[in-house]
Amino acid sequence: MRKTATGTKTTRARAPAKKARDATRSRIHPVVIYPFRQPNDYSDLCGLYQLIARLDAEKGKYARPITVMDRKTHCAMEHDSSFLDFRKSTVGRHSDILDAWCVDTCQMWYSGLGSAFEKGGADDVYWLIPGDFNYGTAVGQEVLGRLHDLPEIILELEQDLCIGEIATDHNNSKQLIDTYGTFALLYNWFPAEAQEIRQFTERPRSEFFAIRHSFLREILAQRWYAYEQTVVMLLQAVFSKKRISRFFVGNISDLPEGGESLASAMQQVERTERVIKTFWRERHQPRIGWTEQYRVLEAQSEQIRRTALVILQNLLG
Amino acid sequence: MHAHGHRKTLRPITFICNAPQAHAVSLVGDFNAWNPTAHPMKQMPDKAWLLNVELHHGHHRYVFLVDGNLTLDPRAQGITRNDKGERVSLVPVS
Repeated sequence: MRKTATGTKTTRARAPAKKARDATRSRIHPVVIYPFRQPNDYSDLCGLYQLIARLDAEKGKYARPITVMDRKTHCAMEHDSSFLDFRKSTVGRHSDILDAWCVDTCQMWYSGLGSAFEKGGADDVYWLIPGDFNYGTAVGQEVLGRLHDLPEIILELEQDLCIGEIATDHNNSKQLIDTYGTFALLYNWFPAEAQEIRQFTERPRSEFFAIRHSFLREILAQRWYAYEQTVVMLLQAVFSKKRISRFFVGNISDLPEGGESLASAMQQVERTERVIKTFWRERHQPRIGWTEQYRVLEAQSEQIRRTALVILQNLLG
Repeated sequence: MHAHGHRKTLRPITFICNAPQAHAVSLVGDFNAWNPTAHPMKQMPDKAWLLNVELHHGHHRYVFLVDGNLTLDPRAQGITRNDKGERVSLVPVS
């Protein structure tokens, strides 16, 4: 959409001065989720920590970055000198390492965002950066160059949650999971909220996001789920009428790693269903007669999940 | 990831709206106080509507006003809401 053109009318627009002033009072807290399985090739992580080093150097704008590392990752690699050197001279140099025993990635999010929140202030923003992305590739570099927009959108446009969206083609496994699994399940359990979510994003399980301090406080105070926490955050954002934005951060359709195994895809649909139905139950159980509606929705949900698995088997199996 | 001093930087941004049947298209956004007369767009020989605007560094909300109707930019890099709660497009300027 944006390209430089000549010979056309150019006009000058005013700057939103007040918002710019407000933004300068706030700090952005980057939280990196270190990959659970240490890759043999460090090029992707080197690309990521070049960005983290730049953030660490901008102390007026960014808080000291945090890297959450699962203790199991560390224990599996503690005799590997390359890992130990990378951890000390790169990860530890540019960020505070938060070592934690975690059952899943979402617990790493919980630990990292919670730790950053304790150091943050009312005007601050928290920025989650997944570490297991191909940042060393050309596409990954493009994503790295755009990620900073997520917290900046929160600050400049006074938003509560900004989801980073990665474009995929229709046959990409992530897209298939969300089209036939995540959204179909959401339409069953939370039809109105699902429509609202889809007005903003096609990737409700995105791991790229930034969140405002006040909304993170609400989220941290509520129950956390072991997986698909982004879906839960989006639902809670819609329930409490938070300001949601979506920003395109890159295109992974060309990456060879874009494909996932059928077993992995099936597992993702199953656990999404588990989270959504548990969330529904917890929201509705104070209401008399909720069990009857639950049984109906659960029966429909099972049909949806089975249909999704058939489609995934046809396309990925 | 830019220093705050870059906020004064002006960058030319090209907006294109593909509405070949429209009689009038304008660009409205937070940079012109959503004024429908501030940034009229010009129809080009290919029937698309075009306008170059110099915008400050940062993120801006906008929509096209196509014959009076708010229209999202399908090629926008993001989506958000304006102060009235309407969905609008988002453009980053770096």
